Amino acid sequence: MNPNDRQRNDRFPQSPARRRLFTAAAAVTGSLAAWPTLTLAGAAGPGTNRLVLVILRGGLDGLGAAPAIGDPDFAAARGPLGQFAAPPLRVDPTFALHPSLVELHAMVGQREAAIVHAVGLPYRERSHFDAQQVLESGGTRPYELSTGWLGRALVASGSKGLALNTTVPLVLRGRADVDTWAPSVLPDPSADLVARLERMYAGDPALATALERARQLRADSPMATQDAAPAGMAASGPRPGAFVTLSRRAAEFLAQANGPQAAVLEIGGWDTHANQTNPNGPLAAGLRQLDLGLAALRAGLAADGAWQRTAVVVVSEFGREVAVNGTLGTDHGTGGVAFLLGGAVQGGRVVADWPGLAKGQRYEGRDLRITTDLRAVLKGVLGDHLKIASRSLDAEVFPDSAKVRPLQLLRG
Amino acid sequence: MAVSPQLQAAIAAHRFGLGEPDLGIVSRDAEGWLAAQIGPADPARGSGLLDTPGALRLVAEERERRVAAKNPPPGMTAEQVVSGHYREVLIADARSRLATAAATQRPFAERLQWFWANHFTVSVLKGSTRGLVGAFERDAIRPNIAGRFETLLVAATTHPAMLRYLDNWLSAGPHSRIVALEARRAARRDEGTRVSGINENLAREVLELHTLGAEGARNGAYTQADVTAFAAVLSGWRIARDPAADASRFDPDWHEPGRKTVLGKSYPEGPNALYELLHDLARHPAAARFVATKLARHFVADEPPPALVDRLAAVYLKSDGQLGELYRELIHHEAAWTPLPAKLKTPEEFVVSTARLLAAGERMFERPEVNAGGAVFSLGQRVMAAPSPAGWSDRGDDWLGPDAVWKRVEWATRVADRAGRSVDARRLAVESLGPRLGAESARQIERAADGSQALALLLLAPEFQRR
Repeated sequence: MNPNDRQRNDRFPQSPARRRLFTAAAAVTGSLAAWPTLTLAGAAGPGTNRLVLVILRGGLDGLGAAPAIGDPDFAAARGPLGQFAAPPLRVDPTFALHPSLVELHAMVGQREAAIVHAVGLPYRERSHFDAQQVLESGGTRPYELSTGWLGRALVASGSKGLALNTTVPLVLRGRADVDTWAPSVLPDPSADLVARLERMYAGDPALATALERARQLRADSPMATQDAAPAGMAASGPRPGAFVTLSRRAAEFLAQANGPQAAVLEIGGWDTHANQTNPNGPLAAGLRQLDLGLAALRAGLAADGAWQRTAVVVVSEFGREVAVNGTLGTDHGTGGVAFLLGGAVQGGRVVADWPGLAKGQRYEGRDLRITTDLRAVLKGVLGDHLKIASRSLDAEVFPDSAKVRPLQLLRG
Repeated sequence: MAVSPQLQAAIAAHRFGLGEPDLGIVSRDAEGWLAAQIGPADPARGSGLLDTPGALRLVAEERERRVAAKNPPPGMTAEQVVSGHYREVLIADARSRLATAAATQRPFAERLQWFWANHFTVSVLKGSTRGLVGAFERDAIRPNIAGRFETLLVAATTHPAMLRYLDNWLSAGPHSRIVALEARRAARRDEGTRVSGINENLAREVLELHTLGAEGARNGAYTQADVTAFAAVLSGWRIARDPAADASRFDPDWHEPGRKTVLGKSYPEGPNALYELLHDLARHPAAARFVATKLARHFVADEPPPALVDRLAAVYLKSDGQLGELYRELIHHEAAWTPLPAKLKTPEEFVVSTARLLAAGERMFERPEVNAGGAVFSLGQRVMAAPSPAGWSDRGDDWLGPDAVWKRVEWATRVADRAGRSVDARRLAVESLGPRLGAESARQIERAADGSQALALLLLAPEFQRR
């Protein structure tokens, strides 16, 4: 524990010790309403499950992140991309993880993480913007829906959501109770000014809502006044990237008794058209950043015992072509990989109906063929973890998806 | 137009411009005031700005420094040798963009310059594009905003910044001479090839983001086969080895031989095919619709009035993509003058309009202690650093997260702390917003605890946050 953490625990009521007490009290009374701060509408009690969605924007190369090293056609299909600067981290005889994914690999070993491969959306074209719209809206065609599947799921379960971002991503839009949070570099404005602004925004609901939520969120943030990087960080090594900082902060919010039930994090930079084999190139660096962020989430939630009730889903809008392009990168494809991790996940395995990598086995001769609908993964997690009725999943959260059966991915 | 001349002046200054401290500057004829601004954008202000050949020389020098960094001098790491290479240029470019917008007498033209620079996004977030973004805006966008769309499209597509940003400079036709040569060299030396094939990135984005729109793909206006063939047309469009020799940008050794069929039409081998293809794309009805929709969305509403979009698209097709005609129609159309401001300012618009409101103009961004780019960054945007080729969002929802609004409150507080004692925010609110200033905002500004708080409230008033 660094000095800043200790100071924080002294100053704020929600220290880990206090939270444990909290859980015990709730268990004894059998009613969360007994605790006044937990009567907020939609607030998640200390025992409720937590869901984290990590969106990798730009189209993650699934075969770069989770190479099918045991597939007989892998080496020929991937060419120079089949060579890694360090040996890939073996998961089973067929699959491995990119050498940058050290922490995720350890979680697979502890049966806390699963790899879902050859997965993708019902969308089969190659536009980032359309694919991200489908990924986040939960529809089957771009722009048929203007709200997000997680937003609708949170409405169905009466839960709160949080975007670790300055703005609300589409996936959380809807009529759900959603906050956004990102680190600040400026001092807090006075409460008096905010009160006057609230009066001024009476006629502008969009601004009024945003201001009101921001104000509450600032009051709730355990580190609201401590946004600077902890002292000593600079001396002990490089500053963590933005994603790691946001992951750490997400864990703090999620661990709070009345915190959000679902959080959304995003990282861009996955559109690796070039330079993928470079050990310091965009793919390797991005995966390292992702890996550190996932580890920070785990560490933050494990300290409060919330990790056991957590499922983290890592997805991207599409995969990339199997073959290398002219610039040692890959162009937009369809099938890719998703990761699931958390104490609630039945991990230690690769979930895939593997289509193979030979040219004839690929989609349009180019891409890893999609054999698992990403919605089956998401429905499985939402149903089991957020306890959303299958009728609602089939019709509202993912409209017209009754034929897409949820996958069993969590511990029963 | 049914609105009063005073209200028209306020709408012209804020919706189509970047705000004015005193609406007196807008003549009684608000539409005429805007129409007189139509033309190429003002030359960029500031010092230390490179033209395109100069920026390319800077890029070439970085390559030399990287080579030198393989044997760094004693006591230095390789990273130290190359780090900071673009620092001064990036700071000068960002300052210039903000200072030019803050000081211009033709804010409508400047807004159009921003609009097109965002439509044809190149971003410093991509390493190979750093140092070229400012030159791209100054050389490809500024002179061309009021001519034909085709002219702008050609200038943007063939500019070295775009060729690098969307990877075209590394794209070689699979049957090009360079691929054959490289394959032989690699076999002789028993190593991997350094050049092997085509990259579709630029072809796809020209279709999807610059001309026909993603809707074009969904409606079947173009297919994956068109993207691949277009990439073959684009192969060979690279960066000249000698930056001064601007003309030799097309390298036939990298070009895919043979004719190509794009959107059902056959194009010849060689550099002229690109000009022909861009000519045809600029005349496509889907491009008319796409440009009309984006322009109306930018100035009028996130979901623009269909009547306005239809009209703009018709003018586009009739005038053969004359952008000046399009702007004239936009400012003449009744739907563009609705009194209620529907658009939320982006962080960059908010920061620059604040500078203009305080008549701080160029000074605010030239003073070294004020990091103007930093202000925009703290509000969730970054000057010349859009996150993707799609550019910054033009929808209010994307800027209205609680945190985004909170950051505006924080920044306005800080600006007002510094400037609030030297201005009378009550008078400024009336002079700048005119009849747009609502009763509640006027009352809150009037009743503020002190001058700083009054100014913060003015900056954060819905009437100033929206346009």
